Amino acid sequence: MEYTSKFTEKLSVEQMKIELLNTAYGNGDTFLAKLDPRTLFIWYLFFGIVPWFIHNQVVLFGMFVLMVVLTVLTKVSPLIVFILCLGLLGQGGYLLIASLFFGGDGTVILPLLLLTLKLSVISLASITVFCSMDPEKLSNGLLKIGVPGQVSFSIAYGYRMLPSLLEEYHHVFLSFRLRGKAPDRHGFLYWRSIVYFCKIAVLSFYPLLLSTAKRARTTVEALETKGSFYGFNHPKVKKIKLAHLRMGTRDYLFLAFSIIYIVSVFTLGNFTS
Amino acid sequence: MSKLKERYTLTQSQKMMVFILSMSLYGLSNMITELVPSVNLGPIEFSIEYFAFIPLTLCMLFHPLYAAVGAALGEIIFGEIMLGQFGGFGELEKFIAFSLAMFIAGTLVRDPKNKRQVAVAALTGVIIHQAISAMVDILKVWVGVEELESVPGLAESVVVIEGFAFLNDILFSGILFALLPTVYLVPRLYGKIEPLLGMKPRHNQMSYSLAEIIGPRLVVGGIFLAGAAFLFEYLSEAGFNWEWEADFVAMFGDSFIWVSILAAALLAVITIIIMLRKNTTNRENERIL
Repeated sequence: MEYTSKFTEKLSVEQMKIELLNTAYGNGDTFLAKLDPRTLFIWYLFFGIVPWFIHNQVVLFGMFVLMVVLTVLTKVSPLIVFILCLGLLGQGGYLLIASLFFGGDGTVILPLLLLTLKLSVISLASITVFCSMDPEKLSNGLLKIGVPGQVSFSIAYGYRMLPSLLEEYHHVFLSFRLRGKAPDRHGFLYWRSIVYFCKIAVLSFYPLLLSTAKRARTTVEALETKGSFYGFNHPKVKKIKLAHLRMGTRDYLFLAFSIIYIVSVFTLGNFTS
Repeated sequence: MSKLKERYTLTQSQKMMVFILSMSLYGLSNMITELVPSVNLGPIEFSIEYFAFIPLTLCMLFHPLYAAVGAALGEIIFGEIMLGQFGGFGELEKFIAFSLAMFIAGTLVRDPKNKRQVAVAALTGVIIHQAISAMVDILKVWVGVEELESVPGLAESVVVIEGFAFLNDILFSGILFALLPTVYLVPRLYGKIEPLLGMKPRHNQMSYSLAEIIGPRLVVGGIFLAGAAFLFEYLSEAGFNWEWEADFVAMFGDSFIWVSILAAALLAVITIIIMLRKNTTNRENERIL
């Protein structure tokens, strides 16, 4: 357990930094990444909401196929897909076991599978859309659809800063471990080690809070120097800043394709049921 | 005197700092909690649901509104959207619930040095949030699984699971990762972290115009929830008819679903717009006296 926990911890933190940077910046050349952010928002507005109201297996499955294809096209990082699968399987399996326990039988499986399918369509839609936008594009897109400048900036900033914050957190965590004393015995079910790690994980946020506060101040001061707060709230500045956003042929083609696909899936679903 | 009062007003940049700080830190903690595996012991799940102490601490030390909204946004962006766990409707709900809970917790604290006050506020915040989210989760499965009544055992199991999760979150995440760290951190950080953002520590006699902030948000949330619940109910009935009745009705059901979908999308958009409006106006109007 000790070795595996050490190993996975190192692996996951290092891996996560890389994956995060990849998610933020690594997908500039995929098909979806070349679309206008507004196209992606419109697309997502449909696929993030509508699947909730659909109870038809064929339609859901058709949507799922589209999502899988797009996910592969977007080159979503394996880590994120893995986390997603873990979450979906965990929830579905857990509900299944519990409902069997309460006197359900085999018939429970189908609705649960349907629910899982539904959830995975929605999740994959959000992954494909948000992984294919780099922070700059996301922030510009949000600004364009009327999100306040402060919010859209903060999101872009967060995307950019998270990897380095994660690294800093990792350093603090490691130095806590270096200076601290790990428990001699693991205790029953490793509870001593678990408590020790949890305690460090929480304590590491103390220095991080202070340093992030400093960083936030520096950022905001830099923003002030550049006159960003003026820019955030004045339509003219916004217009100049966002002049490069255009809905091109590609966007319309993509939307048209999606609509045709969805309509045909719905017709198919109606036909078979 | 007026000059002295002026000093406690948060400037635009200071609000921004609090917002950024809260968002990036809570986003980071969300990424960490997503990665930490959970241990299942029978029906009880020992998992770190969230590091609630971060938004709680920030809400108690700074202006609660900006810290709360920042944290909620950070969770949605980094914990949900980026990791592909975005649940559509549920997230809006979560956003409101989380920022409301954190905001209330923040306003409960008058004196950050008083540990008892901090502890009570931290627990209250967690309980409010968990209660709302448990109810929403139950609702979510009821909406997602159409034939809930016809599937034996599912309805009860969902309620029981959520009940377990609620208690577990309060006892485990709530005490270990919200109560204890907050009580530890808040008195220590008070007076230390504020100068780093170029502001004075929170004054003991601060007052917030609660009605101004919660009023519109609660109203919007309530209308939204009522509308959504109504829609869901109506829709599932329509879906049921569509599956079992004749061709003509099938056509009717199909078109009806489209109408409902459009209405739902419209409702969501309106809600988002209203919320954003409210946020910006609040951000401009809000002052610490």
